Amino acid sequence: MLTEKEIALARASMDFALRNGAQKVRVTLNKSLMELFGILNGELDKVAHALDRNLQVSLWVDGRFGSFSSNRLEEEGLQAFILSGIDTVRSLEPDPARDLPAPERLVKDALTGKELGLYDDAYETLTSDRRRELALGTSVWSRKAELEKGFHLLSEEGEYSDSIFDTVVMDSNGLFARHTETSFEIGYEVTVEDGDGNRYASYWWDASPRLDAILPSLKTCCETAVQRAAAQIGPVDHPGGKCNIVVDSECASKFLSPVLSALGGFAVQQKNSFLADKAGQRVFSPHLTVVDRPWNQGESGSRLYDSEGVATQEFPIIDQGVPTRYFINTYIANKMGLDPTIEDATRPQVLPYGGCKMREDVLRKVGKGILITGFNGGNSNSSTGDFSYGIEGFAFEDGRITHPVREMLVTGNFIDLWNNLTDVADDARLCLSKLIPTLAFQNIDCNG
Amino acid sequence: MIHPEQHYLDIFQVDVSRMDSLVAEALRHGGDYCDLYFENTTYGNLVLRDGAVTSGGRHIDFGVGIRVLSGEKTGYAYSESTAQEDMLACARAASAIADGTSAFYEHSVPAAANGSRLVGRRFRGAPNPAADRYPVEIHWRTAESATLIPYLQKLETAIRARDSRVVKVIGAISWQVTDVLMYNSLKECKYETRPMGSFSATVIFQQGGKVENKTVSRSFRTGVEMLSDDLVTEMAEQAVKGIDERFEARRPKGGQMPVVMGAGASGILLHEAMGHAFEADFNRKGTSIFSDKMGQQVCPKGIQIIDDGTLKGNRGALNFDDEGVPAQKTYMVEDGILTSYLHDRISARHYGVSPTGNGRRESFRYAPIPRMRATYMESGDAAPADIVASVPQGIYVDEFSNGQVKIGEGDFTFFVKSGFLIENGRLTAPVKDINIIGNGPEALRDVLAVGNDLAIDPGTWTCGKEQSVPVSCGIPTVLIKNLTVGGE
Repeated sequence: MLTEKEIALARASMDFALRNGAQKVRVTLNKSLMELFGILNGELDKVAHALDRNLQVSLWVDGRFGSFSSNRLEEEGLQAFILSGIDTVRSLEPDPARDLPAPERLVKDALTGKELGLYDDAYETLTSDRRRELALGTSVWSRKAELEKGFHLLSEEGEYSDSIFDTVVMDSNGLFARHTETSFEIGYEVTVEDGDGNRYASYWWDASPRLDAILPSLKTCCETAVQRAAAQIGPVDHPGGKCNIVVDSECASKFLSPVLSALGGFAVQQKNSFLADKAGQRVFSPHLTVVDRPWNQGESGSRLYDSEGVATQEFPIIDQGVPTRYFINTYIANKMGLDPTIEDATRPQVLPYGGCKMREDVLRKVGKGILITGFNGGNSNSSTGDFSYGIEGFAFEDGRITHPVREMLVTGNFIDLWNNLTDVADDARLCLSKLIPTLAFQNIDCNG
Repeated sequence: MIHPEQHYLDIFQVDVSRMDSLVAEALRHGGDYCDLYFENTTYGNLVLRDGAVTSGGRHIDFGVGIRVLSGEKTGYAYSESTAQEDMLACARAASAIADGTSAFYEHSVPAAANGSRLVGRRFRGAPNPAADRYPVEIHWRTAESATLIPYLQKLETAIRARDSRVVKVIGAISWQVTDVLMYNSLKECKYETRPMGSFSATVIFQQGGKVENKTVSRSFRTGVEMLSDDLVTEMAEQAVKGIDERFEARRPKGGQMPVVMGAGASGILLHEAMGHAFEADFNRKGTSIFSDKMGQQVCPKGIQIIDDGTLKGNRGALNFDDEGVPAQKTYMVEDGILTSYLHDRISARHYGVSPTGNGRRESFRYAPIPRMRATYMESGDAAPADIVASVPQGIYVDEFSNGQVKIGEGDFTFFVKSGFLIENGRLTAPVKDINIIGNGPEALRDVLAVGNDLAIDPGTWTCGKEQSVPVSCGIPTVLIKNLTVGGE
């Protein structure tokens, strides 16, 4: 998708900066094209076409650093922009910690952009008519009477979209890397109303770098959203207290993402991490193992390199409850006097534990508690690890859902929470950037 | 800041005849309205970290968005180039929404039948300029970094001087200036330059083994002159205020109880839990819990809830919205009665009312949708101290952080960053890291008292409904009869 001329412009921009005062330069060129067809209540409501290009230039000038970007890619204008950027960098204070990654850490095998199988040739065959057909084929509006059992479907809003993203990064240490990815996505939001006029909303979605992978979801996506909304009808207040909780794979990242953020080198360096000084210690349950899988073929989120061009690695982030390392980029490594690793988790996977395959298996095993299917607001404290989140979900007993719950909160501390992990299923959704299956925890504070 | 029209035509290298030809191409397959939105934005930022301003940058975003409306359906495409052939390709892509028919609604609502609220649906806006709400003395684009950097250094020094527990200060100055040119099939041409400056600090405190953090920010549609020694002092004092209590704070026992929201920043609850439900697109599509409540009493008499684009220099201020409609002060609730949704041109036509100047977008990459500007509740007549004194047992909230609302159900959850227990009418133990949950319409009905101390918060609020746009919020001290407070 990126043309040779555009890539040559990126290289020329780097060379121009080096000739005009910068000692080191990194240039990233991004290009993307997106087509979208939106549906409202069974009819085409929106079409959108988006083509984006953007050149990012990082400049090291006289021991100082700055970053600049522009989507105006005419060569003359870019050169003036770079000269102005060099002047701006000179006005900053020196920072000896800023540097390019050492050449031996740079990715070497990301040359075509298609090494990870994230580009689907089917993208090139799609026409506007086909896209329109894919979008309209997902609606249930014309047969809503069959679905309305004890409720009315008030609104149905959906989108089909596809895109291609192509990026190259190069630096004055010899880096050249490319990543090309297609994406196909379907998503629906619906609102239903019960006989008493109470409204309930829900959604469902799927996405993949491959068109054929989402075709089954195209048929069921909207209906799944309707079922999820209708399942919430008739919520009851549920007594609070210490509960077993089961967290659906759709929303389980809410509990893992703050842990991964706390392992970020910047948070640690800024003393804003509840996991500072905890690497190498057993902090969490030995049932918790998280492995970074950046090279999974054909899965969205897989990457051969990070934004610095450093080669990704497959490694255990948390090994049987022990965080193995922090995410340290070149800057933080120099700041803290540590060895650099990678700047962030790429495609973290929580490994199964306890023998359950699917969510229903976990519910049966746990027996009684609260099933969390979504979160509504709340926050966590990155310094202390304390959290409190509003939840959506259901009470269950004897492994079976009994009723939806309302106005409930789950409250605790992430270290305590992950020490109460009892089960990890094997049902992670591939469309999500983090592979986190259904999780079960015991003895968690749930307030209603 | 408004330059002569030619200034904007030159930036985007267009003229009226070229814009007319784009509109004609976009409407070639039908459709009844087309608009062009040209944007040239420059962003700048400087960051202080570990005692030095060691990073900064500048970014340019330039392009044009072309929208075609066919009834209430939208076709949208954009180009990062204003070369005529690129824009024509965009116009053709946007025209795909039309199916060959053209539906005009020129006089669909006779003015005489409408009363004062209902006007012709094809709203023609007002002449340029409609107002000048962006006071600028010193321009961001031409300001040297060397003149900005000292304010970051002074802010860090002032914060550290006030509290020995400060271990880290991350300071930032960021700004953006946007040239906008809008043209539509009604041959309206609107143009202006919108500034925005933001100044912030995140401070990490350490006491024994405990760590706490606090962020303070200021953001205005003004020029560089917003930075001053007085502002540095004001922000430094706010940064360290309440930190003793933050270290002492505990999670209280949870349950249902009265909640007093402090004046100012807790207005974010009004924005999230009520304001979004008043945005007309959610109502037009039938998803909002308020979609059948127009003209009904939604909260006690005497309460006014407003969305205001007219506050000069405010982060939510606009002369025109992003559809070329003049911004206004919109009363959503008057004397407790729901009287207006927040409209863009599409929803205004759907409801047969005048647009309210709420059609906003993040950039030329997005079609406009109804969005808030500065949202607040007007002052009532109660003294704040009397409100607190009237509560035997409850929670006082002075700072929320994350909040979320389910538009259909009206259910909301807000995280309390800091507050106090109320015991026997007095503020006692500090509390933190808890959630308050409730239902928007129920909370509005349950307002028991409104203070006489409306404050609009000057912080860097950004609303993220599909697209990010700058907003602000405010509220007087307000007592709500009963909400669920999470706790131990």
